[in-house]
Amino acid sequence: MKSTAPADQVAQADADQAIIARVLAGERDAFSILIHRYSDPLFRHALGMTGSPDVAEDILQMSFIKAYSHLAEVRGRFDAWVFRIVANGCKDWLKNIRRTHLSYDEDDQPTGYANPEEELDLSELRSDLDRALQTLPVSLREAFIMKHVEGRSYEEMADLLSTTVGALKMRVHRAREALQALLEEKYA
Amino acid sequence: MKLDDMYEPNRRGDAAREGGRQPAEGGAPLADREVPLAPVATFDHIHRWLDGEAPEPSGARGDTARSVEFWRRLEEETERRRRVVTPPYVASRIMAALPEPGSTTAVAPWWKKDVQLSPATIVALALGAFSLGVLAMRFMAR
Repeated sequence: MKSTAPADQVAQADADQAIIARVLAGERDAFSILIHRYSDPLFRHALGMTGSPDVAEDILQMSFIKAYSHLAEVRGRFDAWVFRIVANGCKDWLKNIRRTHLSYDEDDQPTGYANPEEELDLSELRSDLDRALQTLPVSLREAFIMKHVEGRSYEEMADLLSTTVGALKMRVHRAREALQALLEEKYA
Repeated sequence: MKLDDMYEPNRRGDAAREGGRQPAEGGAPLADREVPLAPVATFDHIHRWLDGEAPEPSGARGDTARSVEFWRRLEEETERRRRVVTPPYVASRIMAALPEPGSTTAVAPWWKKDVQLSPATIVALALGAFSLGVLAMRFMAR
């Protein structure tokens, strides 16, 4: 699911359709080609959205099983279709987790550090970024992850999320401003 | 009281009056010359830089410089996350969890799957249909 030219995307979609035909014909092992081809960007998406490698693995597994079970229903690009399954899986997980956990409150925010000039600790930045991402609304977090972590173009994001480039730019900009407000004091 | 002669030839306002500075070549007053400013890195410019639509802001000061520095650091972290790959065991775990190959229902769409009903379900459906029929006949008889 890398940013590719439209011609490459067509060729890739055709290759995927050929594999899907083999799986539907009973060649179950051919499905592993699709898993290897698309698992990395999907795992990164799930990891960015949930912040947990274990949960990301589970969502990836459930999504590929669901994709396998409904493989005959694929219309168009397999990568876009399986991305939507993963994205919805992440949103469902986040809905459920919010019902059972307290949200990230004001006291947890990375403000009031004793020594803001101290040397940047990379692992600290990782956890602070994760915590800050969890405070964002899901749509902003999703847009930020897709743009900054997955490195997608706005056009590709618009295609995958069925929305406009302008709307996505707005979401990414708002996410950046929110993250900067949360983290700048410590890291700028 | 002495008044400046604004039409006096070879004198061009305050700059000329100060003595040391001469008018620019070509006769244009100093005040009218365009002086190129250092590019101002607004937050909009930072967004365009992060979107890959503009070069990295340079010469920023104050809050803007802090923003640029912040995003440089954050980009290092997001770049690291961009290289994250799926743990190697995940693919084999998924393959092991897929429905059995003999099961045609595994990949067939719902409208192609066989309908399987237990005897109890058939009886319940028949009773339901019979009850609905009786109710409909009573309603029509009124």
